Amino acid sequence: MDPKQPTELPDWLQQPASAHSQASKTSFLQRNQRHLRSLLTRLAQPAPVVKNQRWHLAPQINLIRLLLLVLLIALINNVTLLWCLALLLGFQLLLLPPSQLRRFVRSWLISSFVALLFVLPSYWLTGPGTLLFFGLKTSLMLANAQYYRLTTPFQDLLSGLKALHCPDVLIMTLAIAITYLRMLGQHLLLTMEALELRTVAPTKHPYRLIGAMFGNLYLKSYAYALELYAAMEARGFNGHYVRTSPTRNHWPDYLSLGPDILVLILFIFWRN
Amino acid sequence: MVLIKLANLCYDYPNTCGLDHLDLTINTGEFVCLMGPNGSGKSTLLRILSGLATPKTGEYWLRDQAITANYLSDAQRRQRLHQTVGMVFQNTDVQLFNTSVAEEIAFGPRQLGLNDAEIAQRVTDCLHLTACETLRDRVPYQLSGGEKKRVALASVLALNPEILLLDEPLNGLTIAAQQQMLTLLQRLNAAGKTIIMASHNFQQVQAVGQRFIIFNSLHQLDADMSQADLQSQPERQAQLMTL
Amino acid sequence: MHIPDNYLSPATCGTLVAAMAPVWTVAVIKVKAQVKEHHETLPMLGIAASLAFLIMMFNLPIPGGTTAHAVGGTLLAVLIGPWAACLALTVTLALQALLFGDGGILAFGANAFNMAFIMPFVGYACYRLGQKLHHEKIGLAVGAYLGINVAALVAGVELGLQPLLAHTASGAPLYCPYGLSIAVPAMLTAHLLVAGWVELVFTLLVFQFVKKVAPTNLYQTPTRTNQRPWIALLIGLAALSPLGLLASNTAWGEWDPTELKQLLAQQHLSTQAPQGMVHGFHFQALFSDYAIAGLPVSVGYILSALSAILIFLLLIRGLQHGSETTN
Ligand SMILES: Nc1ncnc2c1ncn2[C@@H]1O[C@H](COP(=O)(O)OP(=O)(O)O)[C@@H](O)[C@H]1O
Ligand SMILES: [Mg+2]
Repeated sequence: MDPKQPTELPDWLQQPASAHSQASKTSFLQRNQRHLRSLLTRLAQPAPVVKNQRWHLAPQINLIRLLLLVLLIALINNVTLLWCLALLLGFQLLLLPPSQLRRFVRSWLISSFVALLFVLPSYWLTGPGTLLFFGLKTSLMLANAQYYRLTTPFQDLLSGLKALHCPDVLIMTLAIAITYLRMLGQHLLLTMEALELRTVAPTKHPYRLIGAMFGNLYLKSYAYALELYAAMEARGFNGHYVRTSPTRNHWPDYLSLGPDILVLILFIFWRN
Repeated sequence: MVLIKLANLCYDYPNTCGLDHLDLTINTGEFVCLMGPNGSGKSTLLRILSGLATPKTGEYWLRDQAITANYLSDAQRRQRLHQTVGMVFQNTDVQLFNTSVAEEIAFGPRQLGLNDAEIAQRVTDCLHLTACETLRDRVPYQLSGGEKKRVALASVLALNPEILLLDEPLNGLTIAAQQQMLTLLQRLNAAGKTIIMASHNFQQVQAVGQRFIIFNSLHQLDADMSQADLQSQPERQAQLMTL
Repeated sequence: MHIPDNYLSPATCGTLVAAMAPVWTVAVIKVKAQVKEHHETLPMLGIAASLAFLIMMFNLPIPGGTTAHAVGGTLLAVLIGPWAACLALTVTLALQALLFGDGGILAFGANAFNMAFIMPFVGYACYRLGQKLHHEKIGLAVGAYLGINVAALVAGVELGLQPLLAHTASGAPLYCPYGLSIAVPAMLTAHLLVAGWVELVFTLLVFQFVKKVAPTNLYQTPTRTNQRPWIALLIGLAALSPLGLLASNTAWGEWDPTELKQLLAQQHLSTQAPQGMVHGFHFQALFSDYAIAGLPVSVGYILSALSAILIFLLLIRGLQHGSETTN
């Protein structure tokens, strides 16, 4: 560093700044900061999951159930069977604490609305019957997926996949993705805040800023990857991702699949 | 003249407390050092002062304007606040996003509607003040930690803010560079800028700070004393030395 | 571009997962080779997946006050290589489907096919072509624009085929209700006019930034050893996948050229004339007198009663004060 020090401050720095402001709309930075904050909150404290010991199922069973249910709902065109599946979900929802139930309803309604937005015009094409049927099926699928998300912590998803013998690399990659989603999200949020603090007029070239922001984010990811690999090697990483799962009593797990399988059998039976 | 007034201010993060019932008044032209153990709320206070966070309860007055979430929902007011208050982040990585140091410094002034000559002048002055002339055409991303700190300060100075917030500005600097940074801050302070700096380098800042605001690990205000008061309390000095 | 559940028939979803399986296999093999030279590629897969997540959730401003999203498929292909990008985007899509409700769970294969396969590879191919012709940036721009549009086209075709592939006896669609004549133009106009340009500008600016700041961090195309078999395999796959879609229908029901024509005509017809209430379903019965056709009245009553009780209980529970009973 240069040892010689300037002794005088330039004039412009000694005068009080003249107020300069221009009208502008709410910036895209604000909106994105809001989204990112809610994502980070969600990642920082995943939903307080109901841990009802008696009804707590193995993660892999939960995952299989979800896939089975969604598949069944997609396949079934019989109103009665769909109704039964809805009732099944309804009884599960009863076990949720009230605050979670409210959360469930809110996000379920929003996601159903979004998913249905695109089919609404088909009313003029196919009439109300098809639309209603499609809407009910879609929202039933979304409800099941939402229930899974609400009751499954990220870790359970990983151990579920592990128990289903997914390749280690895939599980490790998922685990890294979840961890670094939080770190990169934090970095992006801070970058946007820093940018915002130096924004004193409406942004003329928002895309240039966005390009720089994501360019930086990529470079940061690259730096993280180098660091992470070094750390993995230092801990003797050998390509395996080991997770011990406690031995447990399996009968409630299989029992919990019972109703779904019953509906499946009914479905096959009914078709013929 | 009272510049900043905080009354009964609390800030909570989703799972922890950030600041607990803070009452504080800061006058124009003060040089304030925020001190305290890690996690005591220094950065949180700076975030509130800069308008990045708004307190759930309590008030923050900047001169005669209450800064609330509602006030800041207007982009124009927010921009006015950003022009008054400049902040150097603890993690300067997030603050530098341009492709060259000169561009980085010109980013702020360019929005002020200055002409090219004025912008160039500001860039040159800021580079000179922070002793970054040699870095002019370098890529900020590739600089060392200490260099990034200085470039970040230069880029904030270019907007000529009245209040300068600095979060741990001395971290990662050599002793000589720390001294130089503090000398520059003193000079800015003498030119009328209000400086609020979070630091735990008591050794370095004890000579330059005019006022010391100390937080405890419960996120509360522990002590608020002038430099002269602090000189007469050796046990307090000893405590700050251990931070 | 994330296709939600129930827009595609399970058969289509299955076909597309099957189409993706060889792509994933090849990708894993190629990435393993890449990891040998650049060890950081292994953790980079996960980190790039989270990067892609953030790109997809970022609101980009567009003139007119609304916003759009970029997908970043082409960008990622250029930054970390197309094969790694394919795997990273797959992970992103899986996370979005399972944990965030973006894109369907069954439709995962379709979304992966469009966004993790078509998009990065089309984009990367254009980029490489541009590089060969010494106009890297033009190649990238064309790649980004084409990549997302081809992906949108394929998504449009997948959606538009649904009324043909899956319908009730009376011709009412079971899944996506729009035929090719609506789905394809709708997807394409949105992407040709807006999303494609957004993707182009975004991709180009991020690329330029990285190129300027840290050119060594870009993916370096490996010196070509013997790439032909992979390319042949992929072209074969690309040709096969629409066939697969159709083939699945053979398994599902009946299929021959005359019927295809007939179906297309019918489809065209139904887009012209509103069909009104479709009598293939027994909805009016369901909602008018608690009975369901083909079901004893007693069962209908039991189901209705159960539903009423359940809804009542759920309401009570939902209105209870949230004394968090979780431990
Ligand atoms: N983004 C955040 N989310 C949750 N808690 C936070 C966050 N930032 C800070 N905290 C917590 O708030 C408290 C005060 O933090 P901070 O103001 O950063 O402390 P300091 O800067 O004095 O070290 C700490 O307990 C810290 O853990
Ligand atoms: Mg701090």
